[in-house]
Amino acid sequence: MLRTALGKALKGAQLSPKHARVMSQQPKKPEQIEVFIDDIPVKVDPGTTVLQAAAMVGVEIPRFCYHERLAVAGNCRMCLVEVEKSPKPVAACAMPVMKGWRVKTDSEMTKKAREGIMEFLLINHPLDCPICDQGGECDLQDQSMAFGSDKSRFTDIEHSGKRAVEDKDIGPLIKTIMTRCIHCTRCIRFASEVAGVDDLGTTGRGNDMQVGTYVEKMFLSEMSGNIIDLCPVGALTSKPYSFTARPWEIRKIDSIDVLDAVGSNIVVSSRTGEVMRIMPRVNEEINEEWIADKSRFSYDGLKRQRLVTPMLRDNTGELRPVDWEAALLTVAKQIKNAGANVGAIAGGLADAEVLVAVKDLLNRLGSEALCTEHTFPMDGSGTDLRSSYLLNNGIAHAEEADFVLLVGTNPRFEAPLLNSRLRKGYVHNELEVALIGPKVDLRYQYKHLGDGTDVLQQLIGGGHEVSKKLKSAKKPLIIVGSEVLERPDGAAILAVIQKLSASTKAQEGWKVLNVLHKVASQVAALDIGYNPGVDKIRENNPKVLLLLGADEGAIEKADLCDNTFVVYLGHHGDHGATIADAILPGAAYTEKQATYVNTEGRAQQTLVAVTPPGRAREDWKVIRALSEIVGAKLPYDNLNEIRDRLDEVAPHLTKYGEAENANFFKQAQDLAKNVKTQLDCTPLDVKLKDLSDYFMTDSISRASPTMAKCVQAVLKQKQSKF
Amino acid sequence: MSYFGLDRIFKLMKTIKDYGGLRASLYKLYRIDNLRPGRLVATDKFGNKYYENNAYFYGRNRWVEYAPKYGLDYDASQVPAEWYGWLHYKTDYLPSEDPGRPKYKWMAEYTENLTGTKLQYMPYTTTNPKIQAWVPPSKK
Amino acid sequence: MSSSLTKLYSLSKTGTRFIRPSVNVMNRRALGSEPKDGYIYVNAQEPSMEFKDITDRAAQTIFLTELVRGFGVTLGHIFKEPATINYPFEKGPLSPRFRGEHALRRYPSGEERCIACKLCEAICPAQAITIEAEERADGSRRTTRYDIDMTKCIYCGFCQEACPVDAIVEGPNFEFSTETHEELLYNKEKLLNNGDKWESEIASNIHADHLYR
Repeated sequence: MLRTALGKALKGAQLSPKHARVMSQQPKKPEQIEVFIDDIPVKVDPGTTVLQAAAMVGVEIPRFCYHERLAVAGNCRMCLVEVEKSPKPVAACAMPVMKGWRVKTDSEMTKKAREGIMEFLLINHPLDCPICDQGGECDLQDQSMAFGSDKSRFTDIEHSGKRAVEDKDIGPLIKTIMTRCIHCTRCIRFASEVAGVDDLGTTGRGNDMQVGTYVEKMFLSEMSGNIIDLCPVGALTSKPYSFTARPWEIRKIDSIDVLDAVGSNIVVSSRTGEVMRIMPRVNEEINEEWIADKSRFSYDGLKRQRLVTPMLRDNTGELRPVDWEAALLTVAKQIKNAGANVGAIAGGLADAEVLVAVKDLLNRLGSEALCTEHTFPMDGSGTDLRSSYLLNNGIAHAEEADFVLLVGTNPRFEAPLLNSRLRKGYVHNELEVALIGPKVDLRYQYKHLGDGTDVLQQLIGGGHEVSKKLKSAKKPLIIVGSEVLERPDGAAILAVIQKLSASTKAQEGWKVLNVLHKVASQVAALDIGYNPGVDKIRENNPKVLLLLGADEGAIEKADLCDNTFVVYLGHHGDHGATIADAILPGAAYTEKQATYVNTEGRAQQTLVAVTPPGRAREDWKVIRALSEIVGAKLPYDNLNEIRDRLDEVAPHLTKYGEAENANFFKQAQDLAKNVKTQLDCTPLDVKLKDLSDYFMTDSISRASPTMAKCVQAVLKQKQSKF
Repeated sequence: MSYFGLDRIFKLMKTIKDYGGLRASLYKLYRIDNLRPGRLVATDKFGNKYYENNAYFYGRNRWVEYAPKYGLDYDASQVPAEWYGWLHYKTDYLPSEDPGRPKYKWMAEYTENLTGTKLQYMPYTTTNPKIQAWVPPSKK
Repeated sequence: MSSSLTKLYSLSKTGTRFIRPSVNVMNRRALGSEPKDGYIYVNAQEPSMEFKDITDRAAQTIFLTELVRGFGVTLGHIFKEPATINYPFEKGPLSPRFRGEHALRRYPSGEERCIACKLCEAICPAQAITIEAEERADGSRRTTRYDIDMTKCIYCGFCQEACPVDAIVEGPNFEFSTETHEELLYNKEKLLNNGDKWESEIASNIHADHLYR
């Protein structure tokens, strides 16, 4: 725990490249000053704190309240160190170094100060480590072992004087045991600085100080789970995870979140073949060290409503469990009968491997009816140019922008981590935000330009009040939600926006046009060559339709012929499974090593944390097995071989961790001139307007009891008078 | 008299008499492989009789005679928990006099080792299944 | 009668004095209890070839004296008090700290003690303990699974040392052998039942030992 904190501090101190870029633009670099940490000389920039300077030379200073991504509070006093010629120890986290300072982090005075602080903290901290979920990964435990006194002066065996604080009900996600709180205020600072929800705060002073919500109110935010990670003790713990596992018995697997298109880096903790919890993994390019609540808490949906065995619809019209052999033979027979008249629809959770396997299979059968569930305008450049469907400028750079125009999107719920970047820019960088679309709560101030498409026309014409700002901005961003591009006039909207972004005077290398997708599979599917939208299926009316986890109801039974044989390959019994004639159970994202491409075009892979339940198998392997029976054997037998095939289709799909840039804005704009469709006058709308809409958006989160509780909590909160 | 070992014969005859005659004593000898004089300390609720005779050396001076109902199916695990300590020389208190022995109403009736019988313990899971499978909605 | 038997017994034991010639004595000297040069000769000794010793040996072989002495020893032991105990009627001394069959204890109120802290699971060197836990309806931390594979267990007692609430204990019972393997895969119910069955003895053991821990 300490080590990771040190690593982070080091990283922060060394400054990321983008900061360095900012630095180099400044005319004069301030002179570095030399300080001595435990007699090790180190040169630092002015304004560096003692703690950061110490981290640079690898000296760990204990801390509770300090967090490199939050404002400095300096109230835990654990980081007290001795500075030569200073009569009192100084708080290392808040004190900027001065020239020639000699900091002693290992002196008698420092040790005494630390022991004293630790003693004060422990006086009012309960000794309930055996029932505390933080036990084993607790900063207070670790630091009291490392820096605390080895003997106790606590003699109150009557248990008369320990502080006891009433627990708060702050929602279905976070459990509070406020007696354990050491008042570091990290949660309060996170809520107000990052999440933008000023619900948490302190009341009382000294021994009576309490962290709480002032009034009886739940702390509801799409980012609330992060305060669990921030809490250095067990005061805030995860409610769904409560009491279920210990950190030392958990297997941790690095993976990728697929419940939105951001592709947050996560760590999946599993034990005895069960996902116990999901935690964020630091990735400065994407999610920093936060993740959204849906990513963190919907894992219990992975254990419910699962498809664990192949099923076939029998004569009576009921789905009956069968074994793999029967299922595959039946499906293969249907496909053989259908000949080339086979179609496939990819849902939002399909990985690149199965997408390419299905594409190869259908192409071998002579079919091109490969669709994604979510539409994208095919007029103009369509999906031929990657730059027209990516979040081109990247997620991390969003915080550097100076003007952002959001079109038909609610980033707070479609991509909470992008929204947190925008909020960061808003707080620290004087970013101005304007929004076209329904008026939603983004947790920061923005200019609402209305929800009509006429606003776009006005912006193009230059007659709008924000046109000037857009034109004059050095780093403007136009983020358009994929949802409005699904409208019939989506092509026209995209064309207008392409035109609008071309009219800005952005600096070199800054990409104005950004499309924000809502589902994890879309970019990979478009990269591989799927047709966005299910129109093709409606037209062709295939005899066999393969649903790759398509659960959004883009196609209904009524849209198909009566004799269409629907095959569902996926992991949850949701909309798609109910209309299927054959069900082939697949693996969820925690159960397979699979490639996903996020909305900025970054290929990342999930790793196997647990095995698929029951008879479920990895999706592409099912397709591979099916292909052999159909008689169109696919030429890959293992993951490496299918990855080679991915590489052939689109080389960036296997460059994990790198965002592949696309830069054909001009060409796209030229092609957009051919767009015939006209802007509709229906107002732009988004599905996710309110927090209660956010929690259940896909088959996994719909199956999750925790997410259902969240929705209930939001509705209950609305009834509340606060 | 003791020179010829006659005292032992008298003792044996007394023991036989105490145990209820020659027939009973022979049965006891057959069942226990031993016929020793001892003081009947107590009888537990199952009918097991506990004897003590400190003339024998430590380790043999306490013994149990399993209740007649067990017949030849006596088993070491038929000594109930209360008498276990006394029989194993952990304590000199009888269960009724021992201050360290609580009596809670949730304490279970003692049972012998039931392996090989119909009542034997068989492991079973105490948890719910981890994965809840989807049940397709019925048309009816 | 008994005194005469004792005589016979002692005769059989000390028979050498009457019957055995000096072979033994000589051997003992040769072996030497305290050799001057620091070495003890351990190889087979050459038998003495003096005429007297040879006739002695021949006489003993002819008259089967060793056999007779052997019978003597056996006969003597028949009438001695045996050194073994007559298990299962008599049982050997046990310590209150004896580590036998595991049990999960309860509080006097009847509430189970185990709080699912998983320290026993962590410390178990044989990894015989498996615990799964969750929040009970009343919000307390409880196990849903507490399995001990008694065939893996090495009875080291670390689990009861690790337990902060004296929930898991190694009880006094060692008479839990079973006919099949699976009967020894204890689950939570079995362990709690063991605790309920043995509480009298477990509590007494803890009481007996309370001054030392």
